[in-house]
Amino acid sequence: MGIRERVARLVSELPQEPQYPAQGRTLFVDLATRELQSGYTPRRILETLLSGRGANMFYLYRLLDESLYPLHPDIPLIFGSGVLTGIVPSAARGNCTSWAPESGVILDSNCGDYFPSFLRMNAIDHLVLYGRCPQWSMMIIREGQVEWRDAAPYVGLDNIDMRARVAGDLGGVWTRNMSMVNVTRAGENGVLIAGIMGGPKAIYARGGTGAKMASLRLKAIVTLGHTHEFPTPQPYKPYNRHIAAKLLGTSVVRHALSTMGTPFLYRPSRLLGAMGTKNNQETTWTEALDAEHIDPYRPGMEGCFRCPVNCRPRNDLHTDASDKYGRGDGPEYVTLGKFGPNLGIDRVEAVIRLNNICNDLGLDTASTGSALGWALELYQRGIITKAHTGGLELAWGDPALIEKLLFMTAGREGFGNALADGTRAVEYGHYPREALKYRMAVKGLMQSDPHDARILKAFALGLAVATRGMDHLRNRVTLEINAKINDDPAFKERLYGGAVSAAPNSYVDKERAVRACENIYAVGDSVGMCRFTTQLFNSPSLPGLEEFSNQIANVTGFVLTPEQLDGIGLNVMGVERLINHRLGVRRKDDTLPDRWFDEPNRHGAYAGEHIDRAEFDAMLSRFYRISNLTDEGVPVERWRNELQATLGA
Amino acid sequence: MAITVRLPPMLRRGADTLTITESVHTIAELVAALDRAQPHLAAQLDDTIFNFAVNDEMLIHGVDHHPVEDGDVVEIVPAISGGN
Repeated sequence: MGIRERVARLVSELPQEPQYPAQGRTLFVDLATRELQSGYTPRRILETLLSGRGANMFYLYRLLDESLYPLHPDIPLIFGSGVLTGIVPSAARGNCTSWAPESGVILDSNCGDYFPSFLRMNAIDHLVLYGRCPQWSMMIIREGQVEWRDAAPYVGLDNIDMRARVAGDLGGVWTRNMSMVNVTRAGENGVLIAGIMGGPKAIYARGGTGAKMASLRLKAIVTLGHTHEFPTPQPYKPYNRHIAAKLLGTSVVRHALSTMGTPFLYRPSRLLGAMGTKNNQETTWTEALDAEHIDPYRPGMEGCFRCPVNCRPRNDLHTDASDKYGRGDGPEYVTLGKFGPNLGIDRVEAVIRLNNICNDLGLDTASTGSALGWALELYQRGIITKAHTGGLELAWGDPALIEKLLFMTAGREGFGNALADGTRAVEYGHYPREALKYRMAVKGLMQSDPHDARILKAFALGLAVATRGMDHLRNRVTLEINAKINDDPAFKERLYGGAVSAAPNSYVDKERAVRACENIYAVGDSVGMCRFTTQLFNSPSLPGLEEFSNQIANVTGFVLTPEQLDGIGLNVMGVERLINHRLGVRRKDDTLPDRWFDEPNRHGAYAGEHIDRAEFDAMLSRFYRISNLTDEGVPVERWRNELQATLGA
Repeated sequence: MAITVRLPPMLRRGADTLTITESVHTIAELVAALDRAQPHLAAQLDDTIFNFAVNDEMLIHGVDHHPVEDGDVVEIVPAISGGN
């Protein structure tokens, strides 16, 4: 059955009326013919998976033809906003979902800024895109109606110029009545580590989003329209004030996120001896990159739609105004780590500049920094040579080299062609097979963040079982780094719904903490809440299932208890695992890079820590058991049958 | 006896370090001494965001009873571990 038949069958099953007053429609767009169809996510799906990431998985499950390949135009690209997106403070997020061309497993990326909220302002909760545009096109959603524009004049533009041109041509105002997602040259060139830009810095990253959208010859989607409030069964603004107060009253928001942003994390990671350095050959790096050294280059903070936290640092290197990369947004901690210690770079000015270049080129700093670190180690070891690099000497700590490589990657020029293929560089013949031993990836996706997880076993398990690949944003038990929580067993037990060992380097009961985090983060993604401001990620006192439950009731009229929401988080993971299973993912893929098993950490109080294979395997089995998964990591038969019945497979 | 304590910006009331000269043997005793040196500091430290690092090695559990000794440099580190 082709994609058009699949869509037709699915649309015929969807309700044509909203299931709650604020619900937006799901718009199915055949890019080849520009035919539009729509319906609404059914209530049974909302009560099983919510919206956003959860319902995206419903649509992918129903429309995926795994006999094709990720960049085939019949593999849909799906954007979805959460139930509370655009309505609740700090719920400005949405997900982009498909089959990842880089990793080969699910593609699922979360992004904030303004597009997810403004999509909802246009009465659209999900966009399902399939088919290939006959020529490069721009889709414009104006007050809920779709228009098309020839995108030929925009082809070849990167993010900075693209945003300037579109604002001038369409006459809207960013952050007030206009938002956009767009690909850059890197996406156009099929670079697998390119993302879909969702703002000056915001990016749907990881797995090849940019290459996927560009393969459909869709340069951009622009929303135009006025913001408004939503009709709801119960007033939601009073409870919004409660949520905002909770956000702003939380220590981590007050002391860190709103003042410095995430670079604050660099210092604790390096003091712990857990800062991935030179592709995780080392685990600590210079204090010269501590957040305080970024202070002189941070003129202020920005935020996403209706978020009171404002955690995104602006930057200004005080260079000449003609220097395109002398100012911008960021860097975040991940960029600081991936382009600092990971590449042996020790100057904040260099990291900020490289960050600004990546934001313009549409390169995902997590995957790009990882691909670069991998290449540098391969060169260090003689696994690749100047014969591979076109004569370039790949030395650690050389910002000028990295800058050159970024542009070469975006253009797939010379050695940049190898970097552009990300984790697939061996498969595509750029590197010898021996290179895989040093690839810091799980399920074909490089590690998202710079934290070396040999010490904290819950972090390690999370990276192994994350459904989209090696990524901390799916389930990280971040509070394992907080001594006060570790030293309060009763509090820790309440947080995770059962005992979890106080020792961060212990394997005991860590599966319980990962399970709890994976559930609440999946719910957060499905209501549209930012991860930073979701309970358990950065603080035990941020909004969590109880607040989501109350506000879902106000906004939708659906009564979903915190316990039921916890089950919905599990369902989202379950559907993702069902999809991954169709794509060939098995237990052997829920693992970690060999380095973390075989090479002990050499720095700090936890020198000697590594991942023990037998202990890890036992922890993985326990994780499967409490997650209602079989030994191969898919939902057990009864639950699988229930999910499949709900999904309508 | 002298233990140097580095304070993060949000806990400073002027100087960025305090020197504790009382005889203390553990982090818990150090916190009590800090509270005497800078009233209400102990209450401020009763916050999950704050970790301690002793001589540039961060402690992530078993903190109260962790030994400190003359000449140590103790840093109070606001610790979050998310990232994007």
